[in-house]
Amino acid sequence: MRPANDVHGRDPGASRLLAKSDLVSWIRRLMDDAEVIAPATGAGGDLMFAPVSDPEAVWLGPGNPLQPPKQYVLPQTDPIVRIERNGGGVQVSSISDERTRVIFGMRSCDARGMAYLRRMQATDLPDDAYLRRADRVTVVTLACTTPCTLGFCVCCDAGPFARDGHDVQLVDLGDRFLAEGATERGRAMVAEAPFRPATQVDVVKRDELEREAERHFGDESAHLGAAMRRISTRRVAEELWEAMSPWCFECGGCNFICPTCYCFSVKDRCQDHGWERCRTWDSCQYSAFTLEASGHNPRERRKDRIKRRFFHKVSAQYYQRDGAVGCVGCGRCVQTCLGTTDMPAVVAAIRKGVWHG
Amino acid sequence: MTTVLTTCPFCTCGCGLHLQADHGHLIGSAPSEHHPVGQGKLCARGWHAHEAPTWGQRLTRPLLRRGGEQVEASWAEAVDEVFRGLSGVLAAGDSVGVLGSARATNEENFLAVKLVRGALQTGNVDFCLRAGLQPVVDGIAEVTGDPWPPGRLLDLERSEVILLFEGNLAETHPRAASLVAAAVKRGARLVTVGWHRTHMSRLAARHLPVDSGAGYEVITGFLAAVLSGDQEAGTGTVTPDPGSEALRASLAGLSVDDPVREAATWYASAARASIVVSEGALLPDEARNGAAALAMLAAVTGHLGRAGSALLLLPSRGNQRGALEVGVRPDALPGGLPFDDEVMIAKLRRHWSREPSLVTGLDAEAMVAGCRGLVVVAEDLPAVIQAGRAGLDVLANHRFVVVLDSFATATARAAHAVLPVAAFGETDGTTTSLDGRVQRVRACVSPPGIARPGWQVLAELISRFGLPCTYGSIGDLHREMTDLVPLFAEIGEGQLDESWGALVSRPATGPEVRLRAVDLGRRDPVEGPCAAVFDEAFDWGSDPSVVHAPTLCRDHVARRKLFPTGFVEMNKVDADRLGVKPGWAVRLTSKHGEVTVPVVVSGEVAPGMARLPFSARDRVGVVLGGRGRAGVRVERV
Repeated sequence: MRPANDVHGRDPGASRLLAKSDLVSWIRRLMDDAEVIAPATGAGGDLMFAPVSDPEAVWLGPGNPLQPPKQYVLPQTDPIVRIERNGGGVQVSSISDERTRVIFGMRSCDARGMAYLRRMQATDLPDDAYLRRADRVTVVTLACTTPCTLGFCVCCDAGPFARDGHDVQLVDLGDRFLAEGATERGRAMVAEAPFRPATQVDVVKRDELEREAERHFGDESAHLGAAMRRISTRRVAEELWEAMSPWCFECGGCNFICPTCYCFSVKDRCQDHGWERCRTWDSCQYSAFTLEASGHNPRERRKDRIKRRFFHKVSAQYYQRDGAVGCVGCGRCVQTCLGTTDMPAVVAAIRKGVWHG
Repeated sequence: MTTVLTTCPFCTCGCGLHLQADHGHLIGSAPSEHHPVGQGKLCARGWHAHEAPTWGQRLTRPLLRRGGEQVEASWAEAVDEVFRGLSGVLAAGDSVGVLGSARATNEENFLAVKLVRGALQTGNVDFCLRAGLQPVVDGIAEVTGDPWPPGRLLDLERSEVILLFEGNLAETHPRAASLVAAAVKRGARLVTVGWHRTHMSRLAARHLPVDSGAGYEVITGFLAAVLSGDQEAGTGTVTPDPGSEALRASLAGLSVDDPVREAATWYASAARASIVVSEGALLPDEARNGAAALAMLAAVTGHLGRAGSALLLLPSRGNQRGALEVGVRPDALPGGLPFDDEVMIAKLRRHWSREPSLVTGLDAEAMVAGCRGLVVVAEDLPAVIQAGRAGLDVLANHRFVVVLDSFATATARAAHAVLPVAAFGETDGTTTSLDGRVQRVRACVSPPGIARPGWQVLAELISRFGLPCTYGSIGDLHREMTDLVPLFAEIGEGQLDESWGALVSRPATGPEVRLRAVDLGRRDPVEGPCAAVFDEAFDWGSDPSVVHAPTLCRDHVARRKLFPTGFVEMNKVDADRLGVKPGWAVRLTSKHGEVTVPVVVSGEVAPGMARLPFSARDRVGVVLGGRGRAGVRVERV
C-alpha cells in the first residue's frame, strides 16, 4: 500500500537520499549512458555548463554559470536541414542531434526556462527538431539553499527550489542530498542503490531549507506583478521607453543569455557539397529583427523594440497564453547587459514610472 | 562541444569570449564572466564572433594564377612560385612591399616585419589603417613622450567628467561606450563633441555640436578656457617651461563659447576626468595637432598620468596598436625605435643572424601604387584604402602580388598567388588592445582544407628567402618577440599561457611633458549648400571578417540590409525641403562627381549635412573625390 501524500501533495516515497560520498560514482554511472553536462570552472575562472570528463570537477557550490544551459537544447547555431546537389536537382534531408544528455546541477530558474521553452516548442506547430533533442535530455537540478547575488526567482515563481522542468531535484542536506524524482524517468534514476529512502526528518529539513532560502530574498523583489498591471493596462508612458532607449546598446545579450528567449533567424551554411540550413539565435533588440521584405519595419525605433521585449516578458496577455512570465529571475541580464536595461531595472521603471538610467 | 577562451577580434576594446564548436564548426560565442574588460558583457559583434570564419567564403587551398585563371596548387608549388615571383621583381631592380594588417595577430605582423627587414632586406612594410592612426599617436607622443599614455579603459567607469570626441562610440567601441554610460549612471558629466547627434550624445550632460571634423577648434577652445586665468586652471602641477608660455601666448585672445568654457571647467576641476578620442574624430590634416592639443589639455589640468584619469585613443580596428608596436611601419623598428638604436639593432642581428634593413621604406599607399611586387597579409584593400575598389586596378601594374588571407576577398582574386591562412578561431596568437593588454587568441577548430596558420606560412616564406626561421611552436616565436618587441619584453614568463594574456603596465608619464604653441590656422570652408562626409568611423560593413557574417552584415543594421549598395543619411528638415521620403532617390553633385542614392532620414545628422557610409564608398565615394568631406548639391531625382 502506498503511503499517503504529505501536506504539499508530495509522495514521500519519491524522496530518496544520496550520500555525498556516492555522488561522484553516481555521475560516473550516468556518464556510461549519456553525455553529462554540468557546471565546472573553465578557462579564465568562468563557471560554465560543459560536458563532464572528470566527475570530481563538477561544481555544486554557490553560483550559476553566466551562460544558461539553453545551448544544449537550442544551440546558437543549429543545423536543421542538409541540402545537397543531386544530379540536376537537390536532395533535402533532416539533421538531428541524437545525443542522450543529462544536464546536472542545473538550478530551478534554468529548469523553469527549459519547461518554458518546451511549452513554446511543443504547442501550436510542434518543432520536431527541438523536441527530438530535448526529449533526450534529463535534468537533475540542485535546489538553491543560498540564493545567488543577482537572482530574483521568487518573484517569478521559479525558485529557489524547482517546481517544474526537472526530472530529479537534489537538495543539499549537509553530508547527503535529498533526491526528489519529479518524473517517471527521474524516479527511476533514484530508485536503486546508492539511493536509499528518505526519512520524514529529511523531508522536514528540506522544507525548512526552502523557507529559509525564500526568506533570504527579504522584501526586495522585482515586483513583476505590479509591472504587469501597468504594462497590460497601457499605463506606461511612451516617454519612459524613449528615456530608456539610449541606455540600450543593442548587443542582444539580454536575449542570448535569457533562459526563456527562443527567437531565431534562418541562415544557410555553405558546405563542401551543398548547404546546411541553420537555426541561429536572433535578438528582438536588433533593428532588422522585424524588417519586412517590403522594406517596412514596424519597430524601427529602439524604444519600440525595448517596449516590445518587456511587453512579451511581463504582460498579462502573454502570462495568460504561456502560463508564466517570460522571466525566470536568474538575474543574468543584470550582469550581461551592455547598457542598463536589464529586467529588474526596467520593471522598477515601469512600476515607478520613472527612469534614472 | 568544445569551448576555448579567446579575445574578440573586432574593435580594440579587447573583451574576452568563449568560442564554442561542435562537430568541427564554430557554433557560438559567449562572454567571459571574469574577463577584466568584458566582465560578462559583449556587443552584437562579439556575440557573433563565431560567424565570420564560419560563413565567409573561405580559401581552402593555395591558388596560383595561370593565364587568366587561379588554379589550385600544393603548398610546395605555391611557396616556390612566390619565391620565384618576388625574386624576379627584385632581380629586375624593382621594389617589393609587404602589407601587414590590423586584422592579423601580433605574431603574423611581427613575421611580416621579419620578412621585410630580415629576409627581403628592405623597409617597405606598413598597414593601410596606420595612415589614420599615426598622426594621432605622434601628436600625443610629442607632448607626453609616450604614444600610449597611461590610463585604462576601465578608468572611464569611475571618471567624474568624460570628454568624448567621437565618430560614433556606441557603434565603433561598444564596450567603451558601455563604460561611459556606467559612469554617467554614477553621476559623471559626459561632454560629447561631434558633428552629429550620436547615441552617446543622448546620454551627455552637454553636446557640443561642431562642423564636420572641427573637433580641433573645440579642443583649442578647451585649452584656452583652462589657461585663460579667469578660473583655477586645473588641480595638477605642471613644471613651468618655455613651452607653457608659448602655449598660453598662442591661445591669447581666442574667444571661447560659454558652453565650451563651462565644460572645460568641469574637466579641469574634476578629481578624475578622462578624454576619449576616436581615431576618426579629427580630420586627417588636423589629427596630429588635435591629438597634441588634447594631450596638453590633460597635462595642464593635471589629469595626465593621474590615477583614474585616462587619455584614451581608440583605434578603429582590432589590432592596430599591436601592428604598430611590433613594427609594421616603414619608418621605425619594433616599438617605434629609431634606426640608430644600437641595442635593438644588436638584438635583431643576434636573432636573425644577419644585418636588419635599417632603411625607411614606402608607406602603404605608396607601396600599392609604386611597388612591382606586393605581399598582402590578411587585408582586403578596398576595405581599408581611401580609393576603395579603384585601388584594386592599381594591382594590375604589379608584376607579382601574393595574398595571405582566410577569405576569398577582391584582393585575393586579383593576386598571382593566394596562400590560405587560418581565420579567427582557427589559430593561436595574441592581439593588443587599445590600453595595452596583450591577450591570447586561440584555435577552437581547424582551418578548412589545407589552409595553415598565418604565422607558419610567413615563417616558411622567410626561410625560403634565405633567413632560417623555424619555430616548433608559437611559444618559440613569443620568446623571440619578447626580446625584439619592447611591449612584449614587459610580459612575464608564462603570462601568455595564462587564461587571457598579459596586461602590460607602462611607466606613468613623468615630468617630461612638453608643451608648445598651438596652430590656430583655420580649415578651408566647404563650398556648397550641403557638406557631404563619410561616416568617420571605420565601417565594419566593408571588413571581410564581418561582411560574410550574416548577422553582422545584414540583420543587425537594418539600413545596410535595405540598401546594400549605399545610401545617404540626411536630416528630416533637408528631406522635407527636397520633398523626398525615406528610400527615395536623390542626386548628390560635387565638383568631384555625382552619385544617385536612396535617402535614409536620420535624426543623428544635422541639417545641412549628408552622411555617406564608408562601406559603400566604392559607389558613393566619387562625390568626395578621395577626401573626407566635400560640398554637394542635393536634388530629388
